[in-house]
Amino acid sequence: MKISNKTLLVALVALLTAGLFVVTSQAIGGDDDEEDGGTIIFTQPVKAVVFEHSIHMDMGLECDSCHDDLFEMAAGTAEENDDFTMKSLYEGKYCGACHDGDTAFASNTRCTSCHIGVKGYERMNGGGEKKEGGHH
Amino acid sequence: MTAARVYLSANFQTNEEDRTVRNEQSVRPEAITDEERRTFLKLGLKITGLMAGGTILSLAPIGEDEAEAAFDLQNYRRGTNYKPHYGMVIRQNHCVDCEKCKEACKKTNNVPEEGYRTTILERILEPEPGVKDRVFMPVLCNHCLNPPCVRVCPTKATTKDPKTGIVIMTYHKCIGCKTCMAACPYNARYFNEEKRAIDKCNFCLDTRLSKGEKLTACAAACPANVRVFGDLADPNSEPSKLLRKPDKAVWVLRPESGAKPFIFYMND
Repeated sequence: MKISNKTLLVALVALLTAGLFVVTSQAIGGDDDEEDGGTIIFTQPVKAVVFEHSIHMDMGLECDSCHDDLFEMAAGTAEENDDFTMKSLYEGKYCGACHDGDTAFASNTRCTSCHIGVKGYERMNGGGEKKEGGHH
Repeated sequence: MTAARVYLSANFQTNEEDRTVRNEQSVRPEAITDEERRTFLKLGLKITGLMAGGTILSLAPIGEDEAEAAFDLQNYRRGTNYKPHYGMVIRQNHCVDCEKCKEACKKTNNVPEEGYRTTILERILEPEPGVKDRVFMPVLCNHCLNPPCVRVCPTKATTKDPKTGIVIMTYHKCIGCKTCMAACPYNARYFNEEKRAIDKCNFCLDTRLSKGEKLTACAAACPANVRVFGDLADPNSEPSKLLRKPDKAVWVLRPESGAKPFIFYMND
């Protein structure tokens, strides 16, 4: 059976178009993170603290509730500051602006709500937990 | 009038796969309300052990001089003559698993990647459906008053330091039979390939305490003061003071082993 060049060309174009569509839809589907800032993982001064933009936006906060007064709109900038510590939070800086026991739970309570630890950090990076050998 | 002391225990189980600790059934100290504690106080009973299933191991009336301190350290230590008697109180609810303790320990004591002298266990509790509660639990050698590892060692390679009560290793006596590893209720021992011997936490006796340092490497590295280390024979040491805090539940891990562990846990 002979396949004409034209048929081949049509098939090829159809395939490419379909491929393009899949790629595009993936890009659109994955846009959520960029729209609300996604999940932020702080690793300084301790590993690790998680901040979920979506949870906070679902509570009715707007971008300008925190940006750019409390946090610059670029991941990693707060961590560069020497005062990005629990002490600062207790003084009402950074997360402590809301997490004061009034607007939201106080910074010196419910530690592990935000602190996911090294274990949580490794889980989020898909690495799972490191095997600790030498035991039984 | 009589008063009582409440001594609580929390059981834990380790999952070898992910080293996560789960035991929803265990009696957690926070599950004991102030009212329940007061009821016990009124009864004038001393609870010396509370098993996971809620079985009270022993009840004994005590005198009124023993007020509301959560834990009777002097009674627990009775029969020992260590001076200083090193121990640690772990303020568990402050641990965020940053693992700076682990890093400091490995560096200070030259612990290889495949082993640990101290680590952090994780336990995910679900106090009510849909609510996840994460608890991090630092663990290390419990420097037991009645250490099973010392009892089983065929060569006396592991002993209790007669001065400080620290469970120490004499590496050249160790034949690597690993019986102590199996006997330890706390999984606190590993085989060190380089030393060709079992290695374990010794409260940094050789690396820090003998050099005049007052704290272990892990305690010094902790940013949240979770590990409160000191001399429990001294009533004015920081850990002793913590154990005297009124109305704070104090517990040890796996009390049913009979090892009388000397690492105490509390939520402070």
